[in-house]
Amino acid sequence: MIYSIMYGLTIGAIFYLISIGLSLTFGTMRVINFAHTITYTIGAYILAASVNHLGIPFLWGGVLAVLVAALVGYCIERFIIRRLYGESLDYTFIATFAVFLIGVDIVKGIWGVYPKPLSDPIGRSINFMGFAFPMYRILVILLAILVFFGVELFMRKTMVGKIIRAALDNKEGVLCLGIEVEKYFSIVFVLGSILAAIGGVLYAPITAIHPYMGLNILLLCFAVVLTGGMGNLRGTFFASFGLGMLMSITGRYWPAGSEIVVFMAMAIMLFFRPIDV
Amino acid sequence: MGKQLAKTSGRKLALEVVFLAAVFLLLVPFLGAHRVTDFAIFCITVLSFDLLYGYMGGLSLGHLLYLGAGAYATGLSLRYLTSNPLLAIVFGVLAACVVGMAAGSVVVRATGACFSLINLAFNRVGWFLVMSPLKSITGGENGLSIRNLSLGLFDFRDSTFRFLFVLVSLIFVFLLLRIITSSSYGVLLRSIKENEKRVRFLGYNTYFYKWINFVIAASVAGFAGALTALNYGYINPNVLDVNSNPGVVFACLIGGPGRLYGAIVGGIIYMLITNLLPIYFQRWELLLGVSLLLIVFRFREGIWGSLETLYARITTRENANPLKKGVSK
Repeated sequence: MIYSIMYGLTIGAIFYLISIGLSLTFGTMRVINFAHTITYTIGAYILAASVNHLGIPFLWGGVLAVLVAALVGYCIERFIIRRLYGESLDYTFIATFAVFLIGVDIVKGIWGVYPKPLSDPIGRSINFMGFAFPMYRILVILLAILVFFGVELFMRKTMVGKIIRAALDNKEGVLCLGIEVEKYFSIVFVLGSILAAIGGVLYAPITAIHPYMGLNILLLCFAVVLTGGMGNLRGTFFASFGLGMLMSITGRYWPAGSEIVVFMAMAIMLFFRPIDV
Repeated sequence: MGKQLAKTSGRKLALEVVFLAAVFLLLVPFLGAHRVTDFAIFCITVLSFDLLYGYMGGLSLGHLLYLGAGAYATGLSLRYLTSNPLLAIVFGVLAACVVGMAAGSVVVRATGACFSLINLAFNRVGWFLVMSPLKSITGGENGLSIRNLSLGLFDFRDSTFRFLFVLVSLIFVFLLLRIITSSSYGVLLRSIKENEKRVRFLGYNTYFYKWINFVIAASVAGFAGALTALNYGYINPNVLDVNSNPGVVFACLIGGPGRLYGAIVGGIIYMLITNLLPIYFQRWELLLGVSLLLIVFRFREGIWGSLETLYARITTRENANPLKKGVSK
């Protein structure tokens, strides 16, 4: 049971890191961003390549991966998403899915289709009350909580964060103040990409790295974002840990049902509290 | 819009049917009957999706759930209930209809992104049900094979018969949807797509009409599923795999949403890309992605829509008509 809780917290942490970007892009730009997973996948792949082939230490590999993913995120925003602001939802969905297809194919072209192995960089675990907790997972959870407070601080204290929060609330109002919302949207997008890449980097040693790794977790993260409320950062935080926990506890008693519970939770939530886009 | 509203005469309809049949028959020498059967079934799926997306504006990411429901109901009824394949098709359509009724009552209340994602969630749940709790009857991952495939003249083991049956079904579905979309109900659907709030102001219960449309689309998809089951004589959970949903969406967009011909053209082209391109070109997903981006940024109307615009431009130039024809949407 303790291990299940531990696993739930870890997966919740990963959910949270990926969902923030989705939630922000959903909330501000009304974009279902399928391209989000590309930064996640690329982050994981670059980490694996730099650790396995170039022999760079895990930490620096991770930093490199996040930098590259930020660049990729910027390019996607600059050349694709920026042309689609204010367009209907369908076209943004299709465009981002197209980006996803292209990205996956490029990843396949560079690294091949076979899963890449990557080992736990710390490998030690902490013994506490007779249970052995892998240190790496504790680190992941702590990092996610740190990111949560970081994002909260960023949104509340800095000017950029305040503008983004205002735009989440009322985009036209912010535009009327003479603020170029679009510029801040691209900041939001890159920020989301960076966090997704961090999620990918952190999750890579726990899971298998393969070209389609992003799609599955993306669907779960959509569920998280919809359950937590689009653009609601705290809601996303609680939803990701809540659903992560739900998933792991269900997985303990009924392994096949673990993912379904998440979607059921989302459907029930949406039925009682529909969101208009 | 005016062109579609006009009453289509019987002769024109007959001409369209002949044209449609000719297109598929012409494909046979190049691709073989087996593949063209696949194409036609896929076209039926795209047609049902087009009714939902092109005419009602509901971008469903879980449309294959109904296809899967139809396929599994057909397969299971052939296995346990009846030996009549035609009755099994009816069962398949009914099952998809029932599933569509149940799921539709929830999803039509959502709009935009929620609509897509709730559909997706339902599809995932359906896939899971087939894979896990109902494993003992559906065969789970291993799939389900069907044996009783023939009845009198209807012999689904014969590939020529399968092809003809599917072609006739495609034409039937096409005519059915043509009638639905050109009726006043079809106009109502398109108005809901344009602006649901205003239609509600006019006194229509939009939820109800959307629900009806959802059920129709689900049933047609179920019909396509039943045909899939009979065509292969074998069903596996891949028929309702969530990840193949975007394929249907893309096919619809490539052809041009909101046009029945667009759905057929899109279905054929998408199947050509996914079936033939991988043989010659390994990076076909890249090409698909790039072409989708092109569609989104340049050709919103899809292939058939662009052709229509072109045709309209040519005819107006010939007639020197000062009145500019709007693109029918």
